[in-house]
Amino acid sequence: MPVVDVDPDELRELAGYEAKSDAELREDLFALGLEFEGETDDGAFQFEFAPDRLDRLSVEGIARSLRYQYGDARGVYVPSTNDAEWTVEVRDVPDERPYVTAAVVRGVDMTEGKLESLIQLQEKLHATMGRKRAKGAIGVHDLAMLKGRSARAQRSADERATSEDRRSSGRSRGQRPREDGEERGDDPGTGEEKDGSKVVSYTGIEPDGDRFVPLDAETDMTPAEVLTDHPTGDTYADLVADYDSYPAIYDEIGLFSFPPVINGRRTEVDEGSRDLLIEMTGTDQWTVDKMLAIVCYALDARGGRIEEVTIDYPDRELVRPALDTRTKTVTHDRIETTLGIDVSGEDVVDLFERSGLDASETDGDGETAYEVTIPPYRVDVLHPMDLVDDVGRAYGFNELAPRYPDVSTVGGRHDRSKLERSVRNALVGLGFEDLLNFHMISEDENYERMRVAPGTDVLGGGAPVAIEGPYSEAYTMLRTWALPSLAMVLENNTHRQYPQDIAEVGFAAERDPDAASGVAERRTVAAALARTDASYEDAKARLQRLASAFGADLSTPPTEHPSFIDGRAAEVRLDGEPAGVIGELHPAVLVEHDLELPVAAFEFDLAALA
Amino acid sequence: MKLPDTQVALLNAASATDSKTVAQLSEATGENPEALAGAAFDLEAQGFVAVEERTDDRLALTDEGDRYREAGLPEVRLYRAADAAGATDDPVSMGRVIGDAELEGPTVDIALTNFARKGLGDIEDGALSADPDIDPESDPHAAALAAIADGEEVSDDPVVDRLVERGLVDRSERVERAVTLTDDGVTALMEGVEPAETVGQLTPELLTSGEWEDVEFAEYNVEADAEPASGGRTHILRQTAESVKDTLVGMGFQEMEGPHADADFWINDALFMPQDHPARTHWDRFTLDTEPMADLPTELVARVEDAHRNGVGEDGEGYHSPWSEEFAREVALRGHTTSLSMRYLSGEAVGELEPPQRWFSVEKVYRNDTLDPTHLLEFFQIEGWVMAEDLSVRDLMGTFEEFYSQFGITDIEFKPHYNPYTEPSFELFGTHPKTGEIVEIGNSGIFREEVLRPLGVECDVMAWGLALERLLMLMYGFEDIRDVHGTLCDLDLLRNVEVLA
Repeated sequence: MPVVDVDPDELRELAGYEAKSDAELREDLFALGLEFEGETDDGAFQFEFAPDRLDRLSVEGIARSLRYQYGDARGVYVPSTNDAEWTVEVRDVPDERPYVTAAVVRGVDMTEGKLESLIQLQEKLHATMGRKRAKGAIGVHDLAMLKGRSARAQRSADERATSEDRRSSGRSRGQRPREDGEERGDDPGTGEEKDGSKVVSYTGIEPDGDRFVPLDAETDMTPAEVLTDHPTGDTYADLVADYDSYPAIYDEIGLFSFPPVINGRRTEVDEGSRDLLIEMTGTDQWTVDKMLAIVCYALDARGGRIEEVTIDYPDRELVRPALDTRTKTVTHDRIETTLGIDVSGEDVVDLFERSGLDASETDGDGETAYEVTIPPYRVDVLHPMDLVDDVGRAYGFNELAPRYPDVSTVGGRHDRSKLERSVRNALVGLGFEDLLNFHMISEDENYERMRVAPGTDVLGGGAPVAIEGPYSEAYTMLRTWALPSLAMVLENNTHRQYPQDIAEVGFAAERDPDAASGVAERRTVAAALARTDASYEDAKARLQRLASAFGADLSTPPTEHPSFIDGRAAEVRLDGEPAGVIGELHPAVLVEHDLELPVAAFEFDLAALA
Repeated sequence: MKLPDTQVALLNAASATDSKTVAQLSEATGENPEALAGAAFDLEAQGFVAVEERTDDRLALTDEGDRYREAGLPEVRLYRAADAAGATDDPVSMGRVIGDAELEGPTVDIALTNFARKGLGDIEDGALSADPDIDPESDPHAAALAAIADGEEVSDDPVVDRLVERGLVDRSERVERAVTLTDDGVTALMEGVEPAETVGQLTPELLTSGEWEDVEFAEYNVEADAEPASGGRTHILRQTAESVKDTLVGMGFQEMEGPHADADFWINDALFMPQDHPARTHWDRFTLDTEPMADLPTELVARVEDAHRNGVGEDGEGYHSPWSEEFAREVALRGHTTSLSMRYLSGEAVGELEPPQRWFSVEKVYRNDTLDPTHLLEFFQIEGWVMAEDLSVRDLMGTFEEFYSQFGITDIEFKPHYNPYTEPSFELFGTHPKTGEIVEIGNSGIFREEVLRPLGVECDVMAWGLALERLLMLMYGFEDIRDVHGTLCDLDLLRNVEVLA
């Protein structure tokens, strides 16, 4: 779950409650679902919360939620936007990363606190909605360091190199009518200029197609060099590993961003920055647009003025940021039944408004309902039920009295569950310590240390179901039998008192192409007697008792099994069917497990006792 | 008067004028000291003897101390070698002296440290000079070692303390009991005491012959510890699982079962978990090297895909995430037993279910997490759900209160939460009895319509996944779950943990 660092003083200032104590703030935030985790070295509070309300990934968003909670803000708020001056032209981008969105924010007057919060919001959005930058990556640039081409699209670096004369022209700052974009798209390559428009372009380039100085570097590099020589490049190299061309953003001066990997140093935002260009590229337009909306709300709360940017795709034109609201309809009945409360229509509207939503009563289909308006940063709302949850939170779930549901049903256990319990109880009655081991094991433990070869026709010799790309060498497959686990327990307890009579009724599995999942799962009964005088007869005596307790007819014809001593191993046959093996463990197995006394053991399929 | 053998022997050996220790009495009677001590207390209770207790320090040489007693203390040996090499006049190379003294290994350090500490001389720049005024034959430590070995009293406390500190002498406390006959005891003796006939073991012969009527049974020390008996016990976590099952069955729940290795469709897609959800990445789950699951219900797969892409209901929205059937068919170890709930709710497990229904399972789930005292790669989840026409969050809370109160846990806290598959959702917390920490014990909510409608369920279903291990930790106060669950388990802990009814 995301953790967000919040400077409590900034929070007080933004929420408008300078006098709130730290403890009060924490309590109020817990009510919002933000759990206090601790403090950072420089005194910021750390809060953890579920990844639904991504608008709370910044102090600005948390302050907004608090203002709603305190009743200082009500209903939907949408920041106003100025018309577009800048255009992002999208041409020849990598197929894998076709989407871009952008906004200009002016008058931010960056301070240390604002910058830290913005960087954190960017990082947290990357980690959540952005799916570690794969789905959406954010670039924030100092607008003052960008030089937009005042001319129309120029498609190649060569052309740019020969167009010095054009760079100084087109200074006027008039509003570019939106319709112009469509016109431009229809008429490429004529070199005609548009008054006041400033263009950056999102495109694709060869891995070594151009050079720029990335953040935290001293020299210029090609994108391919960034991936191998720059620490950030190294971290995100996997994201573009399969790309034929690399994403690149240009202004008049040249390459300034290599999304989703790293920005150029030239446009780096610092405490002096005033106006910002925020661009986001990704694999889904909705996702990057929503990420952008969340960032715009945060900067709006800091006094920034949002200015639209035209996104000029070859086949369409978009104006961003997309701050439009949506509506959904919720019935009064659904609210009452889900929360288990009686509540008036007025109160419901009030609760919606305190959640930062607008609601108006409608009477569609003769049923009381509410048309609810949802602000653009609420990426979590997919269904009217999500709005019922908001009403519940605003009402206070802790206000609800628990009640036991008035529903009558009859309980019971399934047959295998009952059999497992009976067998376990019988083993305990025979003096065995009941164990519970992991179902995952290593090949070494399951096979080699027991002297069993994978894919052989003995108990435990079944082909392994392996875990793909396992984290730990100790857990690479599902155990094919349980005796290896018992041997490991004996190995880890040689300092404990003997006799050690241990048993387990548990899960085992092996590869089976005929099973639906490719895995044959079974329950197995395994037991081991470790004592100075343990013999085959001791194990057989207990197995006989167990079989007779379950009315199974036991016979033990001689067999060979690599884990057991030849001549002291037998097949376990229950009601005439082969079910397992019994014998004295081979000295090589004992020595392998650092055991200095004999062990007699058996294992068989639980189903044979059914 | 008839008394048991040992008491008679003691009375005869004891004296009214000389107090005799138990050790002396043991030597005199040939009875073992423990039996005599027991007899002495019994006789004291009858007023025949007085028992006096004295606590002594007992000193004994350790193996190391004994070696030094024979071969000389290392620092003394060093001094002698230095003296022989003329170091009382001029400094001599340290290496040479050590060689002459035949000191090796850790003894060299011991010699050098104590040489300096006891002021036998100086060591500077690798050269050693010896104080000519020292007499190595009268070293107090060496003398004390010899005295302790001979069982003599050593009165010089600082010397003994130092030897104990150096690990050359063990000091232990010994309680010595001395017995004196009282006047009553003397009288009893004069009147005559004789041993009663006693038997140790009751035998079949004694019983069948009737002799048992004429014998007295030797007294045992009934307070002494016996050899530990071995006996089986149900694993503590299994016991907890069993009581959870019993409790839920009592609350009207039926038990579910189903595969550990399952298609991602049942584990995640049916739960409305977007395919690019962080929990569905390779790092968090255990994908298996098996073929994709070919057999999935076609229509259900189509309805689930539609819910992911377009949402459910008039105002529903889908995810803006990729969705592929190929991914849905991949086989992995289940990360929660909600895969079973999906199989039951869809009708796949036991056919269509009509409300009301209550179902549960207490089964293993697998998460690719970092192993630590509270996290295992495999653990038990208490899965449960209730299906009814109308269910509210109050019903959910009421069910948990009822369930946990059966285990003596009454301080459950609910925190509004977010899950992709439930709305509203709540996390549950309890207080750890030992650490006082608030521990998350489960997750719950009312299934979303995006989960239920594709499964063909038109009524409400509330559901939860609780951690069995956390319940165990709350009940027993365990702090490291690895002591209990898995092959690193401690057999002693499992044998000795207190049973809670």
